[in-house]
Amino acid sequence: MSVDTVPTVEDLTEICDQVWASYLDPEGLNPLLPVGPMAGIGEMFAAVSITGSWHGHVVVTCSANAARQAAAAFLVMEPEEVSGDDVADVLGELANIVGGNVKSMLPSGCFVSLPHVVTNPGASTRFPSAVQICELAGTWLDEPVSISMWQSNGDRAEVRAA
Amino acid sequence: MLAIVVDDSRAMRLILRRIVGQLGFDVIEAGDGKEALDALAGLDDLPQLALVDWNMPNMNGLEFVSAVRADARLREMTLVMVTTESEQSQIVRALAAGAHEYVIKPFTAGAMVEKLALLGLVPSGVTI
Repeated sequence: MSVDTVPTVEDLTEICDQVWASYLDPEGLNPLLPVGPMAGIGEMFAAVSITGSWHGHVVVTCSANAARQAAAAFLVMEPEEVSGDDVADVLGELANIVGGNVKSMLPSGCFVSLPHVVTNPGASTRFPSAVQICELAGTWLDEPVSISMWQSNGDRAEVRAA
Repeated sequence: MLAIVVDDSRAMRLILRRIVGQLGFDVIEAGDGKEALDALAGLDDLPQLALVDWNMPNMNGLEFVSAVRADARLREMTLVMVTTESEQSQIVRALAAGAHEYVIKPFTAGAMVEKLALLGLVPSGVTI
């Protein structure tokens, strides 16, 4: 099944506003401030894959410091107190929450994978058979953060042929 | 009062522990449905409340809810799904399996307290 309607950057913004309000910035003091596309910011990655009636990925990318700040905000700890496992856990949960909400905007019959996380600075995440279809890029606490959606080339080919 | 929080994210377990802890619950944690069933099997006094994620390894939340409802010893427990699964069809599936309430992530502490008040587990009007 092909899908020609997918969530947009406005949808990602709405989801992220809710995530920030619930967990990362409940006081409303440090929102995610949108900026233009930011290439090469990624030091930390978390992604969930969506399969079924739509195929692709939802990816959260940020600097190491932003990831540490996010873990501290979730866990109500000081940034220097959080462990590497905490950072991985929180990044994965962020991808899970954003991905799950994205899925709700897709036609029924989609499934979301468990998150996978790469927390090795200098590493990169590649989706060789998918293209980025939208990205919410911004700064949070002066650190770069990006939430993006990637659609599989197979799905896109079906849309073009339809 | 005792609650069990079942979620594969330690951070989410901590958030939920903090919320229900402030409401007077003692809390035990499990990282998936299987681990939760194992923990419950070893308890003499069962939790009144289970907060259950859906998407977990080993045994997911829906399977856990079904297992609890099928077990005469456990079925009095109030089950609340806490998940990103927000499609109407999924909510219906969870409620049909035996969940009492449904909270969609992301959620605020206030939204969670309101749901628990609806279930009669905390007095209405309570804030944290």
